[in-house]
Amino acid sequence: MLRMAFRTFRRDWNAGEVKVLLFALTIAVMAMVAIGSITDRVHRAMGEQSSEFLGADYTFESPRPVESEWIERGLSDGLDITRSQSFATVLSSGDNFQLVSVRALGGKFPLKGTIEIAEKPFTQGVVQQAQPKAGTIWLEPRILGVLGVEVGDKVDFGSIQLTVDGVIVAAPGQASEVFNIAPKVLINQEDVAKANIVQEGSRLSYTLFIAGEPAVREPYIQWLKEQKNSTQRITGGKEGTPALKAALERAETFLRLASLISVVLAGVAIAVAAGRYSQRHFDYSAIYRCLGMQIRQVHKLYLWQLLMIGVIGSGLGLALGLGLQSLVINQFSDVLPKPMVGISLTPVVTGSLSGLVVLLGFALPAFLQIAKVPPLRVLRKELLPRAMSSWIIYLLSIGVMALLMWWQSNSLLLVGILLAVAVVTYLLIRLIAWFIFKIGVWLGKRGSLAVRFGVGQLKQYPAFTISQISAFGLAFIIMLSTVLLRSELLSEWQSQLPDNAPNHFLINVQEQEVEPLESLLKQNNVSTEGIYPMVRGRVVGLNDMTLEEALDENQRRTGAVRRELNLTWTADVPEANEVTKGRWWSETSANDGRTELSVGEELAERLGLELGDVLTFSIGGLEIKGEITNLRSIQWDSFQPNFFIIFEPGTLDDFPASYITSFYLPLEDKKVLNQILKAMPTVTIIELDAIMAQVQSILDQVTMAVEFIMLFVLLAGVAVLYAVLQVSREERLLSATLLKALGARKKFIRASILAELALLGLFSGLLGVIGGEVLVNILYSQAFNIELVLHPWYWLGVPLISVSFIGIVGWLGLRHLLNQPAHQVLREL
Amino acid sequence: MLRTKELTKTVNSQGQGLTILSDVSLTVNEQDTVAIVGVSGSGKSTLLSLLAGLDLPTSGEVHLAQEPLHQLDEDQRAAVRAQHVGFVFQSFHLLPGLSALENVMLPIELKEQNRAKERATELLEKVGLIERLHHYPNQLSGGEQQRVAIARAFASEPKILFADEPTGNLDSENGDKISDLLFDLNKQLGTTLVLVTHDNRLAERCQRIVRLEGGKVVADEASNAALDKTAEL
Repeated sequence: MLRMAFRTFRRDWNAGEVKVLLFALTIAVMAMVAIGSITDRVHRAMGEQSSEFLGADYTFESPRPVESEWIERGLSDGLDITRSQSFATVLSSGDNFQLVSVRALGGKFPLKGTIEIAEKPFTQGVVQQAQPKAGTIWLEPRILGVLGVEVGDKVDFGSIQLTVDGVIVAAPGQASEVFNIAPKVLINQEDVAKANIVQEGSRLSYTLFIAGEPAVREPYIQWLKEQKNSTQRITGGKEGTPALKAALERAETFLRLASLISVVLAGVAIAVAAGRYSQRHFDYSAIYRCLGMQIRQVHKLYLWQLLMIGVIGSGLGLALGLGLQSLVINQFSDVLPKPMVGISLTPVVTGSLSGLVVLLGFALPAFLQIAKVPPLRVLRKELLPRAMSSWIIYLLSIGVMALLMWWQSNSLLLVGILLAVAVVTYLLIRLIAWFIFKIGVWLGKRGSLAVRFGVGQLKQYPAFTISQISAFGLAFIIMLSTVLLRSELLSEWQSQLPDNAPNHFLINVQEQEVEPLESLLKQNNVSTEGIYPMVRGRVVGLNDMTLEEALDENQRRTGAVRRELNLTWTADVPEANEVTKGRWWSETSANDGRTELSVGEELAERLGLELGDVLTFSIGGLEIKGEITNLRSIQWDSFQPNFFIIFEPGTLDDFPASYITSFYLPLEDKKVLNQILKAMPTVTIIELDAIMAQVQSILDQVTMAVEFIMLFVLLAGVAVLYAVLQVSREERLLSATLLKALGARKKFIRASILAELALLGLFSGLLGVIGGEVLVNILYSQAFNIELVLHPWYWLGVPLISVSFIGIVGWLGLRHLLNQPAHQVLREL
Repeated sequence: MLRTKELTKTVNSQGQGLTILSDVSLTVNEQDTVAIVGVSGSGKSTLLSLLAGLDLPTSGEVHLAQEPLHQLDEDQRAAVRAQHVGFVFQSFHLLPGLSALENVMLPIELKEQNRAKERATELLEKVGLIERLHHYPNQLSGGEQQRVAIARAFASEPKILFADEPTGNLDSENGDKISDLLFDLNKQLGTTLVLVTHDNRLAERCQRIVRLEGGKVVADEASNAALDKTAEL
């Protein structure tokens, strides 16, 4: 049987029968392996990069010392774990004092990424991975000015003195802590006990930095999650900073969707090609049966065929996919994360295995048909096997897709949601495709003969035509949305971060320092975004009750009610904010005697606050009450000073305020910061430039990856087109020769082919642009709260691109028809 | 109308020249009806394709409506066909993407004549398919498809009609109807008819029968029907 299978395979190969099937499968596996590997590598490299922000793969924070058995368990598993303690204390030198946030390190730091230590403030530092030696301290640059010390000097730390050993230029964890008021210092853990600085009742936070291989790390983290109590917190690598987290999540969704689409498209191509293969083998099957083969044996023969096709196609696809992914990674190494991680086995295995699964899922129904041909077909050609219920075929295909998705995502819920969305979307897309097709056919009847002929070709297999329109339309929908969302994201970022967006913040500016600061900045040609007041206060009551009475235990644990808040007043809604409930005071009558408050909606939700609730604040020992009159959404990744609570202007005039300002400072002008610190030693400088550059680069990488992957979706679309062209091959040959016999010139045949392809391209392009606009507008309204936006240029551009692309690709597949000798019309084709 | 001179066709088959037709010289006058008969492989279809300019001879001459087909390129021959030739095929060869009406309109439009729709409708009425104008080939029976094909063949008012086994794929009842239709229309419109067939009864309805054997004309004589007719006179 095997030998017969080989012979059949060779014959089919020579006759070109299996080539389409192989082509589709190769494309499928190639796309899956390449997309899988690239996604996986970029993804892991991005994860590595964001781990660098955190200083580890995970951090574990606890208000009490972490049980030593937990740490030992991790260490014995082979993980790297560095313990650290954080607390606030005062550093002094002579008469100068500064409140600092201390991180005392008990081991190597950071575990991921590096720390950059310099000899002088605001200069290039040396990159290293270590901890300060016992007896030494690393300081943030602004502390040097306040304390009036330089590297090599000593500072008082509790009951001991520490030598300033370096200035912190960049350290992990900065991104999430930029608005921590107290400047940061790093010391060796040994010095904490010696300094006698931590007393009973001191507020400490204990942090474990954890890093290691995923296979060891993930189970340990999972175990830790089960052990920890509600006061302890695990932060994963990806959650390092909110801005990064959002970018990574968006990217992952896109990439997952993209590989899914290429799988589905390849599946369609395989199903179409398998359908043709099976029909071409009905005659053989009937003859085999007449010659005495049993159904079981015919089944076996063709299952062997399928397996051979599967092995060869998967092998080819695997090789091409691997080659392609390394080509891509090398080609785009400039914009991809560095260092790039190596290839991992999972996507390779998944890709090639899922190739086989897709082949089985989409081709098996057609192959099983072959053996069911009644032997009588040798006499009566019109006899066909009883068609398998299309529901079974659909269910099988959907089952295969679900299996693949589950394999990739490992989440049944996600699979369920994705499948439901995919099926609904698919049905919608088919409906629109059908509609466009019908209109096109109706309009096409009014065109020239060549156009009508092209329409006739499309009309002949409406199901295939609609599949093709859906496939290409889908590819264009995704591409269009990527392009539009990318430009939307980028322009949103650029509007937030134009070239000279503020990259430095000054806080703790005293009222009397505002004018000198303004003139100092002016002298150095630095323009500010304005100087804003800020009052530090604590929430102490709600609706005339104490917090203990008004809030439950969980709510009281919210950071915003446990520590002092930055309170401000503004006349207008800040830019990155939007009122979601209630009305801003500019819309209500001013000076109505009430003290009005605006509260961030997330905070309000956590504390169960409603409009009309009255909050009591304690500011510098005095109390003030305010009524909540509106809630705001706050865009936390906007790199602007954001406030949980904003007061109506005038209501905080009685309280001492410090001021905050921000400005743009290019790298070469960083020395201005030294002047500021010298003139106003209590001012706190926050440098954002490095973080902003890094976030921007990650965003670029993400969009790059998404755009590149769209190419594969298009390639899978080409596989569908070729499969369908192959299916209609005989009829096309006949039509071409027949037209010649009836007196048509080559020009006419060329025109009719091009008309058909152009129509296909036009329909797909229209679907793409309609679907793209709908999708983008849904995303706009969901994610960006942007009103309906249409993109008229794309209405012209997308169909044009679609027509050219499908025209060129299709022409390459059909141009041989022109040279078909006319006398073949007299032969049985 | 149609004239050949020492028509020879050789093809390469596994490295060897294989002569399919040799030295065929024929003349067909206007409004003649000629049947080309012979066993399978005798060269009937090859001769038909050369006569209609679907293929080029290896040597010899073909003149169709005063045009030297053997000297024309593919597009020029197509233009001659569009102008003067109609076809009926064994397998009907309707274009599956076009309705019955559109199939019949096609040659009229290729010839760039006016009133394509009206004339196609008239012809379909003549072949008894007025109810089926907008049906597609796969919605028609074999006999109906061949009637559409005949309507299409006469649609452009060709001077000469080539028919390749027009009844070959039909049962005898349908075959008889089709041949009646073919000869009736041929007579009405005064078309020259060249048909290739196995079917002696069909061949007998032509005025002349050309018999091929091994690529050579072995007989070229008036049919019994023609003789009978002559005898009647």
